[in-house]
Amino acid sequence: MNLPLSMYAQLPILIVLISLVYSATRYDRWDLILREALRWGSRMAVFLLAVGVVLFLVAGFIDAH
Amino acid sequence: MMNPAPQEQPVYLWAGVLSYLVPGLGQICQGRIGKGLLFMVCLLGLFHVGQAMGDWKNVYIPDSEGPAGNEFADPGGKPPRSQRLRHLPHNLYQRWHYVGQFWIGAAAWPALWQYFYMPVPDKDANPFWHDLQRKPDELTVNNFWRDSDKTPDLGWIYTVIAGVLNILVIYDAYAGPAVRGDPREEKQKPKLEEART
Repeated sequence: MNLPLSMYAQLPILIVLISLVYSATRYDRWDLILREALRWGSRMAVFLLAVGVVLFLVAGFIDAH
Repeated sequence: MMNPAPQEQPVYLWAGVLSYLVPGLGQICQGRIGKGLLFMVCLLGLFHVGQAMGDWKNVYIPDSEGPAGNEFADPGGKPPRSQRLRHLPHNLYQRWHYVGQFWIGAAAWPALWQYFYMPVPDKDANPFWHDLQRKPDELTVNNFWRDSDKTPDLGWIYTVIAGVLNILVIYDAYAGPAVRGDPREEKQKPKLEEART
């Protein structure tokens, strides 16, 4: 079964899910859970974006040479 | 003034077991209903969506042995269950995905059921349940992967993520959340007490 969503559209959903579940195992209060989930989600998104930029640059370098 | 000894937190083995069987069930039984439902919906949803993305053929225990040449096999050509159990670590080493998927709980038990040749519904009457989490035919799998895009790759990854996240959920049910209270309030406590004195 192929999901109607593009592969890249699944990424934000996955980040939100993982952040929420992980943060909910760290805290019991919902305000703390959501705050921690936001922080973890941001960290994951920034990390993945950085990896994407590096791969893009490497691919451009390879294509140029 | 000496700091008071930290209080020992209670643990709940039964809640951990329940959360293993069904993600979030332990938390629901403890009264943490919102968290329990969050875990249940997210993890079971992720697991089943992952299975669907792999055409329900990505959760199974691999079988590196065949019935041929097994002198202890029954007339049906299947090795005995004791031999299946002995070979289980080796088979899991061949394809380790199930080691992560196992932790989702009862949702991954059909794979064990199939691996040990337990009775299943008739193929003609109910092909889905007959083949659920059974090791797929190699030709079928090869054709499926050849004709697919990256969706099946993501599918099995989702199922493993769901299983591994449930390990954290099990521990949350067993011993409570990793951090109790608000760390920022804990840090400000000495300053507040100093201000009072």
